[in-house]
Amino acid sequence: MSALERQQRGLLDLIKGRGAPPQDAYFAQVAHSAGLVMVREIALWWRAMQLDVQCRYTSRLLKRTSRFEGLVAAYFDAHATSSFVEELSRDFLQTLQTDADVLVAATAGFEYALMEAHADSSESFEILWDRDPDAVVVALEQRSALPPPDADWTYRMRVGAGVPNLVRCSRERKQFRVDNVREPIP
Amino acid sequence: MFGNRADSGRRRELALAATYEGDDPVLLERIVDLIDTIEIAPDAIAQSRGGRRLRSEILAEYASVADRVNFIAHGVGLSIGSYASWDTTYLELLDELFSRIELAWHSEHLTCTMVGGENVGSMLSLPHTEEALELVCARVDALQRRYPVPFLLEHVIRLLPQAPGTYSQAGFLNALTSRTGCGLILDAYNLRCDAINHGLDVEAFLAELDLAPVRELHVAGGVQHKGFQLDIHSRPVADDTFALALDIIGRAPNLRIVTYEFLKEAVDSLGHDAICAELSRLGRVIGR
Repeated sequence: MSALERQQRGLLDLIKGRGAPPQDAYFAQVAHSAGLVMVREIALWWRAMQLDVQCRYTSRLLKRTSRFEGLVAAYFDAHATSSFVEELSRDFLQTLQTDADVLVAATAGFEYALMEAHADSSESFEILWDRDPDAVVVALEQRSALPPPDADWTYRMRVGAGVPNLVRCSRERKQFRVDNVREPIP
Repeated sequence: MFGNRADSGRRRELALAATYEGDDPVLLERIVDLIDTIEIAPDAIAQSRGGRRLRSEILAEYASVADRVNFIAHGVGLSIGSYASWDTTYLELLDELFSRIELAWHSEHLTCTMVGGENVGSMLSLPHTEEALELVCARVDALQRRYPVPFLLEHVIRLLPQAPGTYSQAGFLNALTSRTGCGLILDAYNLRCDAINHGLDVEAFLAELDLAPVRELHVAGGVQHKGFQLDIHSRPVADDTFALALDIIGRAPNLRIVTYEFLKEAVDSLGHDAICAELSRLGRVIGR
């Protein structure tokens, strides 16, 4: 490994909080520097700002539970983030689709699917919601209270470039299906 | 293909440029009469939807004013100092830009933004070593063979402690320009940041630097945060940066363009009036 490779890999690890504490004198100096804190803060700030704009509903939802900044940092540390904002946003949303909070997972899945549909992907996506997604979107848009989980209904949403108006949603009784196709979310 | 307009009026020794990254036609219309040149950041006008390429609607905006201004390109993401590989995606964007617009020159930051294919999230300054110098020189040579216009490099601000090296900052730039023949961009705001953040002696730096390769000067304004002056172009130009810019204008014999840089994200907070006021102020200084 060349000196330059060692230097750049070492700085990447320090910025992303990876690896063991450095033994090398220069890296130890960097590790204890205020500059490292600032470099990391700026890197996270840029990504948070981009994700806030691109992932409008997911970021608003995560901010309600003070999880947004932590998840952005965790994503930055663990992934090779793209410099293209669309790729950054899609990758970030993809990591959230297995989130333990089903509402976060559904919202991230919805925004991810919309991005794909707008990009004319031939893929279509199905997202299950535990509450009315229209009401969720309105609450996030208006910054009002979120609707509670629906005890009786599951909401099955289909998103894709081939879906009329990109989005269709139907609801099903938790025990049996009822055909009740709703209007697309505007 | 557009750009590189024929001389449409009196020739000036020094031209005024501004950043413009699209999507704000009102701003474009206001600044275009105040400047001679638009600085295009290829990475900032690119999209990845349907393949990584330049946004056609922004290229159309540039085309709409091509009879009134010239164009230069100033990249962010080439990562010319990465040990492994620079970003070939950036080169593809630059290829596309050159195929669409006649550029007076193109430039990049002397930095590393990618490590092993991973985005660092920051612009890392390079160690001033022979190894780093040889790597960058080889890539500058390749760029100069690839594109038919001059190539310039810009020094970046340093937030981390400087890695051990054999050259001074100015000595590294001198070796780079003398070995490759490339030009330099001096950034008055970056120098002020370095002076504030870690005590760079700007006068000593300028005294050591060979100013003949300096073709372009950047000016910008930013903010302090937790004791650091940040390279975030979100404010009007501070008086001390303005004074430094005037000093450099008087000393760099081959300077051709002064560029006022501002972030697209900062346009709302800066406001069109403030941007135009800064351009007018700079225009008066360079005799526009």
